[in-house]
Amino acid sequence: MSDEALAHAATRQTLTATTFVEIVDTLVSDFDVIEVLTVLTSRCVELLDSAAAGILLADEEGHLRVIGASTEQVQLLELFQIQNDQGPCLDCYHTGVVVAQADLRATSPWPEFAAESVAAGFPSVCAVPLRLKSVILGCLNLFMSEAVELSEADLALAQALADVASIAMIQDQASRDAAIREGHLQHALTSRIAIEQAKGMIAERGRVDMNEAFARLRAFARNNNRGLTEVAQALVDGSLTVDLVAPRRSSPPPPRP
Amino acid sequence: MTADRSNRLAIAFARETARSATARLCTACVEVLDVDGAGITIMGGDQAGPICVSDAKVAALEDLQYTIGQGPCRDAFRSGLSVHAPRLDADMWARWPSFVQLAHSSHIAAVFAYPLLVAGANVGVLTLYQHAEGELTAAQRDDSEALAGVLAETVLSLQDDAPAGTLGAGLEEAVQYRAEIYQASGMVAIQLRISAEEALLRMRAHAFSHDQSVAEVASLIVARRLRLAGDDHTIDPPMEVEE
Repeated sequence: MSDEALAHAATRQTLTATTFVEIVDTLVSDFDVIEVLTVLTSRCVELLDSAAAGILLADEEGHLRVIGASTEQVQLLELFQIQNDQGPCLDCYHTGVVVAQADLRATSPWPEFAAESVAAGFPSVCAVPLRLKSVILGCLNLFMSEAVELSEADLALAQALADVASIAMIQDQASRDAAIREGHLQHALTSRIAIEQAKGMIAERGRVDMNEAFARLRAFARNNNRGLTEVAQALVDGSLTVDLVAPRRSSPPPPRP
Repeated sequence: MTADRSNRLAIAFARETARSATARLCTACVEVLDVDGAGITIMGGDQAGPICVSDAKVAALEDLQYTIGQGPCRDAFRSGLSVHAPRLDADMWARWPSFVQLAHSSHIAAVFAYPLLVAGANVGVLTLYQHAEGELTAAQRDDSEALAGVLAETVLSLQDDAPAGTLGAGLEEAVQYRAEIYQASGMVAIQLRISAEEALLRMRAHAFSHDQSVAEVASLIVARRLRLAGDDHTIDPPMEVEE
């Protein structure tokens, strides 16, 4: 290997390692899907022999959406695929395997897309799935400025980068969901406890038993068109005075303003 | 069978069991982990409530931890890490004096607490009790960790179907069990013109200094047979004088 080639290989190795660290980093710090995917597209362009890269992700209904692209042109080519329902990314998303065409000027399964891509200066394309096990999240589209085939090594690297990004996205979704569910549980626990505390407050002020206290709490909530939990919370945090819900025994009703 | 699948099936079975007979969850933990006692407590913020205990001794130990606000359960929840106390010796006594004292008189020699964690969410603690000193085996530790994960997802999935602000079927016990304590704290809050949170602290202090459980103190307060003194340690004036 020439000195130049060695230097190039060393730089590439460093950049590859840096990219992985960069993506893995997002797993532990504040996570932003768009940021991870932007890093993914720009590093793909630097590391691989591709001129541009774009990413499509499926939404909840399974429709692909353009998420990021290294250039404006690529963004349009990605949109073109979705609008015309044809192109390497769609095939890749549906099959879950790499879809590549080294020369779009030859016969292409996607004639309209091929014409657009060649016109934009990208005669060669490759689509790599973003997947975790059997779940396919979307795909990474690589655009080449010459009619070349990506090497095995390049493809393996592209797939590895896509895999790390996929894990990041799945993990992020799982922890986001879990945090929301944990919040629901905490809210329910606090709300239920507040109702018991409020019953105690009403029972004490109104000199009634717990059953009657609960009846008064419910009646007050209903008469004022407020939720039971909300009224209980308001009593506990002091924003609602207990005298309004349970007038003191033997004291006259409050005068009307 | 993949780990994912067996996990999913375990959660489904645990959830359905919890819906109809929550107590069985603890019995199952004791059986599969081969330990002498188990308790499952759900926790959120500063609130905690047991959804099941395997026996009365475990119940008393879990109650004590709630009364004094310290113990392996709380430590595991706060840190998100499992707590291992294979010997309740002087070191452990220094860490949780009251807990170790009651454990000794209940013939509990070792305790282990596992936080209920799933995808970064922490929803409670599984506490295991042993009559004999000694570490859990590696298999018991692995199983306990796996079981804590299953229970975490079980708790969250029980809550998934519940309307906002209400606890899911099988979780209601966590509040029901201590309902009287919360009611009493509401009464004390009015009596002493303090927050319910502070009222609970006063009840805890009273229970501790009178060698009672918070539940016993709460029961007396709700029955209006006990009134806690205010800040100046004199008996609070009765309601009639106030009016």
